[in-house]
Amino acid sequence: MTSESPLAIELVDVWKRFPGVVANAGATLSVKKGTIHAVLGENGAGKSTLMNILSGVYRPDEGQVRINGEQHWFHSPSDALASGIGMVHQEFRLVPSFTVAENIVLGASEKIIRRSLIEKEVEQIAQQFGLVIDPTRPVWQLSMGERQRVEILKTLWRKAQILILDEPTAVLTPAEADELGNVLRKIAEDGRTVVFISHKLHEVTAFCDEATVLRGGKTVASTLKVEEVNESDLAGLMVGSSPMISERPPYQEPGEAMLTIEGLGTLDDRFLPAVKNLNLTIKSGEIVGIAGVSGNGQREMAQAIAGLRPITSGKVTISGKDLTNAPPSERFTAGLGYVPEDRLGVGLAPRLTVTENAILRCYKSLRKSIFLVSEQAVNYCKEIIDRFGVRTGPIDEPIAGLSGGNLQRLLVGRELSGNPKVVLAAQPTRGLDVQGVKAIQDLLIDERAEGVAVLLISEDLDELLTLSDRLLVMHEGEIVKEFDPANAHRHEIGAAMAGKRDES
Amino acid sequence: MKRLVLVRREQSLRGGQPLSFLIGLVVALLAGILLLVASGHNPLEIYERLFNSSVGSSNAWAKTLNRAVPLGLAGLAVAVAGSMGLWNIGAEGQILAGAMMAAWIAQIGEGWASPLLIPLMLIASILGGALLASGPGIARAQIGVNEIITTLMLNEVALRLLQWLIHGPWKDPESRGFPLAPLLADEARLPKLFGRAHWGVIIAFLVIAFFGFIVSRTAWGYELKVAGSSGATARYAGISLNKKIITVMVLSGGIAGLAGGIELSGTSDRIVEGVSGGYGFAGIIVAALALMRPSGVAAVALIFGAVQVGGLSIQTLGVSSSVSTILQALILFGAIGAGVFNRYSLKSVKREKKGGST
Repeated sequence: MTSESPLAIELVDVWKRFPGVVANAGATLSVKKGTIHAVLGENGAGKSTLMNILSGVYRPDEGQVRINGEQHWFHSPSDALASGIGMVHQEFRLVPSFTVAENIVLGASEKIIRRSLIEKEVEQIAQQFGLVIDPTRPVWQLSMGERQRVEILKTLWRKAQILILDEPTAVLTPAEADELGNVLRKIAEDGRTVVFISHKLHEVTAFCDEATVLRGGKTVASTLKVEEVNESDLAGLMVGSSPMISERPPYQEPGEAMLTIEGLGTLDDRFLPAVKNLNLTIKSGEIVGIAGVSGNGQREMAQAIAGLRPITSGKVTISGKDLTNAPPSERFTAGLGYVPEDRLGVGLAPRLTVTENAILRCYKSLRKSIFLVSEQAVNYCKEIIDRFGVRTGPIDEPIAGLSGGNLQRLLVGRELSGNPKVVLAAQPTRGLDVQGVKAIQDLLIDERAEGVAVLLISEDLDELLTLSDRLLVMHEGEIVKEFDPANAHRHEIGAAMAGKRDES
Repeated sequence: MKRLVLVRREQSLRGGQPLSFLIGLVVALLAGILLLVASGHNPLEIYERLFNSSVGSSNAWAKTLNRAVPLGLAGLAVAVAGSMGLWNIGAEGQILAGAMMAAWIAQIGEGWASPLLIPLMLIASILGGALLASGPGIARAQIGVNEIITTLMLNEVALRLLQWLIHGPWKDPESRGFPLAPLLADEARLPKLFGRAHWGVIIAFLVIAFFGFIVSRTAWGYELKVAGSSGATARYAGISLNKKIITVMVLSGGIAGLAGGIELSGTSDRIVEGVSGGYGFAGIIVAALALMRPSGVAAVALIFGAVQVGGLSIQTLGVSSSVSTILQALILFGAIGAGVFNRYSLKSVKREKKGGST
């Protein structure tokens, strides 16, 4: 460690397990006082869990939390706040009908509160850090950026010396994000410490002093000086190098075009362009991999192809059939199997039984007039379970009891059971254990052998390099480069993920 | 330090329902002994009356069944909406709307024969409840207005309308100043099944069975359950939600309205302010205890009805109404709430306490 400034935060060898998942497996973090420190990692890398441990929401199974050199064992967020740690969560925790000042004082320990005094204090702090806001305005009138300022003010008013911001720029426009960067700099110059969670590389290099990279719950690089690294290095560190599991399938000549996407455009949840003029053709018997730092339009692209997000421009065709405006069920019948990124809650309905989830795609064909024939449903479900090796309890019990790997087998099995021509798999192995990863990867390889066209979106670079016949890199809603997985270099892929374009 | 936590069982206990019911009932009655002794009563005497008055004779059964009818229908109304994840908190108002519509038809159809008049009254009551619930349904489907608030507020609207009617246009001239509507004609009253139990018992049972079947056995009911479990999953499966939200709210309101029609025609015989009897709100409890499953509503309503009838009866032995209410709640939650142990087991875990160093 350098001697220039003392450490404000030290997390040492932190472990946190949840049922079926190890969220943190020996993560460490050291942050110097008065700096802005980025915590980087893909979704599921354990960033949020680690920050929730730091801010007292979770208690670690093992490991130490030291603040200013002193060991702490927080029992609650208010415990952590008492030690000067404030967190700005992704989801704001504000009462819309209250004013800014009322929200800031809400939950404070003072018994008697003078409104004018609070408003003055808030005004003062706001001015000091350049957080322009009127403390008397009700929160419902504020934009997302302004609401975030209220959250930051809340922690500053409570005298937090350490501020944790969980993906703060996810809700902001680029201009607002730049402004946030200036605010954070002022906060750090005031001698406070800022922890900035993100997976947007350019923000990290623009705003932060040092960075720690998490992958699979572990710290893979700690206290990197941001000046000394570039975005491609960071991208390379973030994406996985999980143990290679499935064998690279033998070469096979691809057949005719199955999925054709021409000039696809779609918007994200804030109605900003997420995918721009994307062209892609996948042939029968071919796996095309999509790499990219998450948040670059992969999710929106998959949803647009699956029919869950309106297509603003372009055309989607499956084996010659135009499905641009077709509802999701029609796409399934036309031969599109879709394994969504969010398994529970999109792909599977959590409170329904195994059988009810198994027939989600085909229940209309199991009808006899208005009735659902339960024998047929049960047989259909048993077929999926047998063919794809899903281990379940009784199939008339809610799926909540299944492990992550078996949930995914059920979901993938169901999508493959319609004998699709095209399979769209978004993060199909994320968060699964070794066996689960292999099972799902093998299923995709089998489908390829049977002549199915597979579009694989993944954050695991090894998975992409192993399975794909072609590897495309997505950046800011566009495909910036294509690689031949057999001869690709990791650092070149990393550079493309950071936005370096294909010159040729 | 140890603490108890509920852990979900790998699989539900098969056939554990009757056993958990009995065990829960016994535990509740034992706890009730403490309550009764503390309030200076003889528990044996009270329990004997509680039992006899609710299920001890055919007369007692009639009372219990008559109470179970509006409870079951109101519970069904809430459960049908609940199986799609919607909250109909307005069953109380929908019951009133149903009762008012039925009373109106009874006025129009004065002198008509029962086989014509009663079905018309009940259909009108369904329409009344459905109409009141359709507004919240449309608002929820079209512009996303929270149905909890709209259905709740419409309770008040229905109540005020009823108050206006019984203080004004519908006031019985012979009521000596009391705000009451006139008694229904004999033709407008539901015939008796046995004792004081009326045919509403059969109607309610059929309606509950019908919806239980629809929700659990049809493709439409399946879509409802998917939508109730996760809206995103429903969209993924290509299930359109808007039309379904309106249909479900209208059905839910219609069921509650029918409860009002039956209550008017079978039990209260006239429109008074308390014609809805709080059943609309009790229906929320019934549905919750039935785990929002329409098929489970009938059994819960029956137990609920019996407990209410018994609870009223023991007040004639000098048990105060508050002690009686506590006792009712104990029995209800003991007997039905114990069902949770069919799905969860109780485990004692050591509280992690690591303090200082690791």
